[in-house]
Amino acid sequence: AMAPGKKIKARIKRTLPVRGPQAPTLSELMRWYCLNTNTHGCRRIVVSRGRLRRFIWILLTLSAVGLILWQCAELLLNYYSASVSVTVQFQKLPFPAVTICNINPYKYSSMKDYLSELDKETKKALETFYGFSEGKSKVRRSVDEWNSTGSDFFKQIPLLKFEDFSKTATDLHSGQKRKIEGSVFHKDSSIVNSGDSNDIIGFQLCDADNSSDCALYTFSSGVNAIQEWYKLHYMNIMAQIPLETKEQASYSADDLLLTCFFDGLSCDKRHFTRFHHPLHGNCYTFNSGENGTVLSTSTGGSEYGLQVVLYIDEADYNPFLVTSTGAKIIVHDQDEYPFIEDIGTEIETAAATSIGMHFTRSRKLSKPYSDCTETGADIPVENLYNKSYSLQICLHSCFQKAMVNSCGCAQYAQPLPPGAEYCNYKKNPNWMYCYYRLHEKFVKEQLGCQQICKDACSFKEWALTTSIAQWPSTVSEDWMLRVLSWDKGQKLNKKLNKTDLANLMVFYKDLNERFISENPANTLVILLSNFGGQLGLWMSCSVVCVIEIVEVFFIDSLSIVLRRQWQKAKKWWNDRKRQRSGKPPQAADLERQGHDNPVCLDEDLPTFNTALRLPLPQGSPLPRTPPPNYSTLRLESAFSEQLPDTLEPGRH
Amino acid sequence: KMAGGEKTRQWKQEEEQQQKEKQEGLIEFYSSYQELFQFFCSNTTIHGAIRLVCSKKNKMKTAFWSVLFFLTFGLMYWQFGILYREYFSYPVNLNLNLNSDRLTFPAVTLCTLNPYRYSAIRKKLDELDQITHQTLMDLYGYNMSLSRSEWSVPGTQKRSSRSLLHQVQRHPLRRQKRDNVNVVNLPENSPSVDKNDWKIGFVLCSENNKDCFHQAYSSGVDAVREWYSFHYINILAQMPDAKALDESDFENFIYSCRFNEATCDKANYTHFHHPLYGNCYTFNDNSSSLWTSSLPGINNGLSLVVRTEQNDFIPLLSTVTGARVMVHDQNEPAFMDDGGFNVRPGIETSISMRKEMTVRLGGSYSDCTEDGSDVPVQNLFSSRYTEQVCIRSCFQLNMVERCGCAYYFYPLPAGAQYCDYTKHVAWGYCYYKLLAEFKGDKLSCFHKCRKPCKMTQYQLSAGYSRWPSAVSEDWVFHVLSQQNKYNITSKRNGVAKVNIFFEEWNYKTNGESPAFTVVTLLSQLGNQWSLWFGSSVLSVMELAELILDFIAITFILGLRWGRSRQQLSVLGPAPATHGTAACHAEAPPLAAPHRFTVEAVVTMLPSYNSLDPRGPSREG
Repeated sequence: AMAPGKKIKARIKRTLPVRGPQAPTLSELMRWYCLNTNTHGCRRIVVSRGRLRRFIWILLTLSAVGLILWQCAELLLNYYSASVSVTVQFQKLPFPAVTICNINPYKYSSMKDYLSELDKETKKALETFYGFSEGKSKVRRSVDEWNSTGSDFFKQIPLLKFEDFSKTATDLHSGQKRKIEGSVFHKDSSIVNSGDSNDIIGFQLCDADNSSDCALYTFSSGVNAIQEWYKLHYMNIMAQIPLETKEQASYSADDLLLTCFFDGLSCDKRHFTRFHHPLHGNCYTFNSGENGTVLSTSTGGSEYGLQVVLYIDEADYNPFLVTSTGAKIIVHDQDEYPFIEDIGTEIETAAATSIGMHFTRSRKLSKPYSDCTETGADIPVENLYNKSYSLQICLHSCFQKAMVNSCGCAQYAQPLPPGAEYCNYKKNPNWMYCYYRLHEKFVKEQLGCQQICKDACSFKEWALTTSIAQWPSTVSEDWMLRVLSWDKGQKLNKKLNKTDLANLMVFYKDLNERFISENPANTLVILLSNFGGQLGLWMSCSVVCVIEIVEVFFIDSLSIVLRRQWQKAKKWWNDRKRQRSGKPPQAADLERQGHDNPVCLDEDLPTFNTALRLPLPQGSPLPRTPPPNYSTLRLESAFSEQLPDTLEPGRH
Repeated sequence: KMAGGEKTRQWKQEEEQQQKEKQEGLIEFYSSYQELFQFFCSNTTIHGAIRLVCSKKNKMKTAFWSVLFFLTFGLMYWQFGILYREYFSYPVNLNLNLNSDRLTFPAVTLCTLNPYRYSAIRKKLDELDQITHQTLMDLYGYNMSLSRSEWSVPGTQKRSSRSLLHQVQRHPLRRQKRDNVNVVNLPENSPSVDKNDWKIGFVLCSENNKDCFHQAYSSGVDAVREWYSFHYINILAQMPDAKALDESDFENFIYSCRFNEATCDKANYTHFHHPLYGNCYTFNDNSSSLWTSSLPGINNGLSLVVRTEQNDFIPLLSTVTGARVMVHDQNEPAFMDDGGFNVRPGIETSISMRKEMTVRLGGSYSDCTEDGSDVPVQNLFSSRYTEQVCIRSCFQLNMVERCGCAYYFYPLPAGAQYCDYTKHVAWGYCYYKLLAEFKGDKLSCFHKCRKPCKMTQYQLSAGYSRWPSAVSEDWVFHVLSQQNKYNITSKRNGVAKVNIFFEEWNYKTNGESPAFTVVTLLSQLGNQWSLWFGSSVLSVMELAELILDFIAITFILGLRWGRSRQQLSVLGPAPATHGTAACHAEAPPLAAPHRFTVEAVVTMLPSYNSLDPRGPSREG
């Protein structure tokens, strides 16, 4: 009773016997292969007559193999290439979201309480350095001394007047000369005001812990210096004011929008969504898709787009924070964050601005074709904006994260990460220095943000064409202003001025959507068929012949070599044994190689088992045997077994 | 027993064969055609051919196979034709890449729109201005006598300008009624505009006054300007140091300059002078330290405050106020009239850019040039090759060749001088003629100048807002005037602000890649070949070998036949040589071992007897 395992093994051995290669030596194996393979060229090597002929055929075959390898390598290398298709579709296009902000973030009148101290300081600076004093100085003595401690900080970071790169500067407050140490950051040039009478204005930021470590900011133009300095303090003050107060201090939808027209129909403030931007105050997004519906236009052309008249209250502008008048708009997708401060388009007052749009949608292939991200989920930067991923969002989020990590508070212009709060110099006296240092690092790509953040794979863009016309025209100005003032109505007592108004039209130039998409230029099918083509062209080879090559050149050749080695080892072993026992070596053993191998004499061809495991029968005094049974070398005989019906009748 | 016997026989044969191999010659030939075909048929790998050639005993089969063979042959070549046509049309794939590398800020050129300060050039232009005033008075009854008396013409100037007066009167501006036969009927050089009955223009004549034409304009403003600038160019060309006349007053033009929130400095700009657009300052042009934008947005771009005051403008030349901005690539000349952008005074212009790069495949894929070295036009500009540079150079070279002098607005080719009608009397005539030819592409400049393979474009879109705002106006102007020591009189029209920035961090690259490479072509050919014939390049080599052998055998047989004829004439008639047997008998002794080899090997080879049931009988 055999064990069932052994039984099965024996059965497998019986039904599927493992046999060795078709030939005992390598040269015969090659010969056999060449005669039997389907690959072209190889056969000719064997059957050709004449050494030159044979050599030429060897050369040809080898060069064909080389060409196949080279061309297939080319095919593989070019596999990951993409082709681009551009489709233009005519369809009803969804209207993008249009975000509109007044350039001035908050009404100056309502922010006066908070900013009075700063303004006073600024006016003082203007007077000291430029001898400018407001002619009719309205006495704005604010009763509420809201931020009395603020002035300390103005004193800490005052505007300075440098005298020709000497290390001394005049302080705004004390008027004293003070010694300035530290590296000059924006080293000023002498391009503007090379004259010696005017000096360079700037300010100095110092590390609070180590006051000798200072950075100096100088500006070529006084306008820039004052604005920068004002902005610095302004952000500190704003960071301390609660959001509700700021929203109230900014423009309401009624304030900003006088008329609204969309797709030939009237619209009102309900179509606009408010959104508070830290630098631009209240902004209003038309068609934000907040309630789930996205408007679309039925036809292109300015009549069917968005038409609004904006009320820009120029008199209520902050004179130091912003110096230009108008509104900023940005056209974006509903789930995109509007980066007003970066890419907003300005709208001029007393003019009608028509913005024609052309819509393009693009899609890139992600890995391995290009390095882009589909959703941004694979980017190790938390998205601080609750909008869909874009490169801009990633960069800003990355910077804000770095800011919170190294300075301990968040920068005012970007959203707040969880658990952090905005920087102000009451709580973080050191933040400005830290911020400027960090920003410099960011610009120089030392924070690694630019490396981490990747492009988005699909994006929409609206190419804008702007044109401007005078508005309202001289003849229509009179009645139009009157009607608009009446509309504005009860709240406003004064008559509107045309420089307070801006007319804006945003529309699709045509309803063509251009869709640019990348497609893989090669699919697996094409790759394989190209492989097939190359193999077929040079050698008429196929996958089967590749397998055949592997079989003959690797498995069979290896087994032959191994068998050789085994026999050598065996012989060496026998010799040693014999030497020990003192018997003279047998002549038959020495000869027993290759054809003489008794294993090959079996009716069956040599098997792996016989070749590798079975010990050679010792001392079998067989005579020198005839050549092995390579009947396959003679195809006639092989054919006569396989195809008896096609044989000549005479042979039977 | 049987097996043993067989083995011994085979072994013997093996032995024999090994012996024969030792004697094998360098190259061996068949002794007859039949043997040759026999060998070919039994060893070839071309699928159809075997059946065609080697089933010769069965006529039906041969006919069938030959039909099939030619059918597949035709089909294959039809397909080959399609493939070749596709390949030689050099199709390209469009590649769209969105790169988000650090963006190098382009060069920005800003021009004052005023070539010379009027006060500096007034003396030179005085004569021309007088004549123009006179002409305006005559034609339109307009008296343009502003501050004429202030600038009395010195007597020395008068003498030298006599020739100018003469020259100017050679090309008077005049008005004529359309279809008026009384006026000299001159051919016009410009398309007629049916605006009204009157047209205005000036007459240009060839050197000997034989051929004249009327350069006509429908509007008097155009005509006066064109006429004025025509003379203005002549005056400038006469001045040896015209370019030195103007002093570059950067501080007086650019009040504030910031890039990426940092102040620009002197190293960031270069200056050049344009005879029409005035002093031009190109920022970020030197290749040593280029600005790069780290982020898109207005704060990370270039921000300039420029003076646009027009007090000192040449009244008849500068009809536009403001400044002109152009964004271009480094090492490309700024052709302000091609891609400029005017900046309005009193307005903050925010220009957002989108970068787009186009890379074409050169060579046979598209008609473009890598660096212009293969374009038959000499590059007169000291910059990189662009299409515009080439076209302008082409025009200038033609101008020098045809008119003998160079046009003032373009660079001077070696050995030429600028046109000026004291030296080249009829250059105006020649120039306008040439210009018409140039525009009609008769000079084939547009044909000769190919597009560069690599192009960078900046798509600009602008937003405008009023600057400075009413509330900040006071202090801004005050600070500006204090700092720049310039008294801005006409406040709002005196200054303008320009911001130029990238709108997006990423830029598009439109590339091309060959859609049909040699590799693909070969693969496709191989596919077709395998599909219809199952053959390969090596099979073709087999055929080639067959043909070579055929020729060689013909030659050998012919030789042998000739020798046998010689022998025949000596020995008498011999039995006719038919088949191999006869051949063996007649073979010269030298060829004997060869023949032996051949025979032996033939027996060893597969005979495909399944294909040919009644094939020639063999041994065994």
